[in-house]
Amino acid sequence: MTTTLTIARRELSSLFRTPVGWIVLALFLFLTGTVFVFGALAPGQPATLRPLFGTTTLMLVLVAPAISMRLFSEEFRTGTYELLASSPVTSAQIVLGKYLGALAFLILMLLPTLIHAGTLALVSDPSPDPGPIAAGYLSLFLFGCLCLSLGTLASTLTDSQTLAFLGTMLTLICWVLITNIAPQHVGPEIGSKLAAASYSIRIDDFARGTIDTRHVVFFLSISAGLLTFATSALEARRWR
Amino acid sequence: MIEVSDLHRWFGAVHAVRGAGFSIPAGQAVGLLGPNGAGKTTTLRMLTGILRPQRGSIRIADVDALTHAVQARRHFGYLPESAPSYPEMAVRSFLRYRAGVQGVAARRRKNRVQAVLAECQLTDVARRRIGQLSKGYRQRVALASALLHDPKVLILDEPTNGLDPTQIREARSLIGDLAQNRTVLVSSHILPEIERTCQRVIIIGAGRVLADGTPDELCRSADTGGCIAEIKGHLAAIEFAIKQALPGCSLETAPLEEGWWRCAIRPAPQSEPEATNPQELIGIALASAKCPIRLLRPETTGLEEVFVRVLDEAARNPGGEA
Repeated sequence: MTTTLTIARRELSSLFRTPVGWIVLALFLFLTGTVFVFGALAPGQPATLRPLFGTTTLMLVLVAPAISMRLFSEEFRTGTYELLASSPVTSAQIVLGKYLGALAFLILMLLPTLIHAGTLALVSDPSPDPGPIAAGYLSLFLFGCLCLSLGTLASTLTDSQTLAFLGTMLTLICWVLITNIAPQHVGPEIGSKLAAASYSIRIDDFARGTIDTRHVVFFLSISAGLLTFATSALEARRWR
Repeated sequence: MIEVSDLHRWFGAVHAVRGAGFSIPAGQAVGLLGPNGAGKTTTLRMLTGILRPQRGSIRIADVDALTHAVQARRHFGYLPESAPSYPEMAVRSFLRYRAGVQGVAARRRKNRVQAVLAECQLTDVARRRIGQLSKGYRQRVALASALLHDPKVLILDEPTNGLDPTQIREARSLIGDLAQNRTVLVSSHILPEIERTCQRVIIIGAGRVLADGTPDELCRSADTGGCIAEIKGHLAAIEFAIKQALPGCSLETAPLEEGWWRCAIRPAPQSEPEATNPQELIGIALASAKCPIRLLRPETTGLEEVFVRVLDEAARNPGGEA
């Protein structure tokens, strides 16, 4: 575990050593701040952060691939992966370490938005219901876990950061199209199965303030599965 | 310390390593010599676990590197060909990170980093970003990172690649120091580098081990028993005298200044060993022919000559066994 945390710490700090990390962070905070001011703080609006969570979820489809794209692709491109691959660590430790580093960055990115919740509580009368806010943050965290695990997998498959970014983003978009729009055009039997694989329907439930353990298990198990695939992809590189 | 046997690796249809095998005892510095594309890097990548062999076995410090890969990796330090590192990190931060990944206990990390900084003469640049350093320094940083866990075995892939002559000299001296108390396997296609840093040479070509021994052993095994002479006179007379003295010998001549000729004379390979030294016979024959001799010495075979001959032989016999 110590080695995993060492890798995670380097990954997190490397995001702050490169312009990409700062640009992503600044854009994310600027956009969430703008949405909060013009969406949640507008006079006459109900005291809720729902518009903020909706927009942030959409932003994660762009931001998470930008964080995860360099996790492995950059190491493959520069040759530093040889250092990791010849070190006394398992592929699972490498994948987990890098993933935790990226997840820590995502959490650090979400933390400043708690100011919006605090501000809303101060200026609203009556105060906002804390349940939907807590559920909203949980949904952002879980969706972030899923996006980053998908991005980690994409990054293990290519030396190109651009391909890893596009692959992750397009997969997330296609996922929504297949599980939200396709069910309306196919039979009810297949449609219901496709809808059960939808992440956006589950995020909507969280936004309403419902914390359903099935949804939590859905996000966590898919993330774990994708990380397992990423580990296998790294092991497969030793055979290429 | 390193035991490799019958190693095979294919990349698609290309059979890059074909049954390579060698054994390196503790404390020996061994050079893996071969032309570009000979399979040196692939062999080292298999040794270090970056690539898996499709066939064969690897043992490092008595640990099976294929079944207990992580455990085996604790016993060696590896410097890849491109000496990779993270340019955005400071030297000390990079080494601390690498110490963590190499499994150095947290309480020992600071001391180990300090020790390798001193050993690789990096103390002055410890706070600088790696991206700002010269290629020579970056090479040292990568080497330092391979030493952090104080490994018994050091595997270096083309350690002087891309360095200028001064940096090459410094790198050689550093590797020489490191080889004093470690088992070192250095790959290179540069002969002087191997000759100066290694006690033993393994020549690899087309994925096979073609020759293995100390530089002296390899040179002796390639010795033809021939000699080099510088002789003055008519070429026909010189050739006649030499052929009379050593029937069936091969003779190569090259003109020098003012009627002098440089002759490389090699006795026929199948001929019975002469009771008299071939140089004496040639000397007597040329004296009889009244051809002055200003130089007559045995033909010495250098490592470069051995290298070329071994590769030529392998090219003529591509399917031959190692």
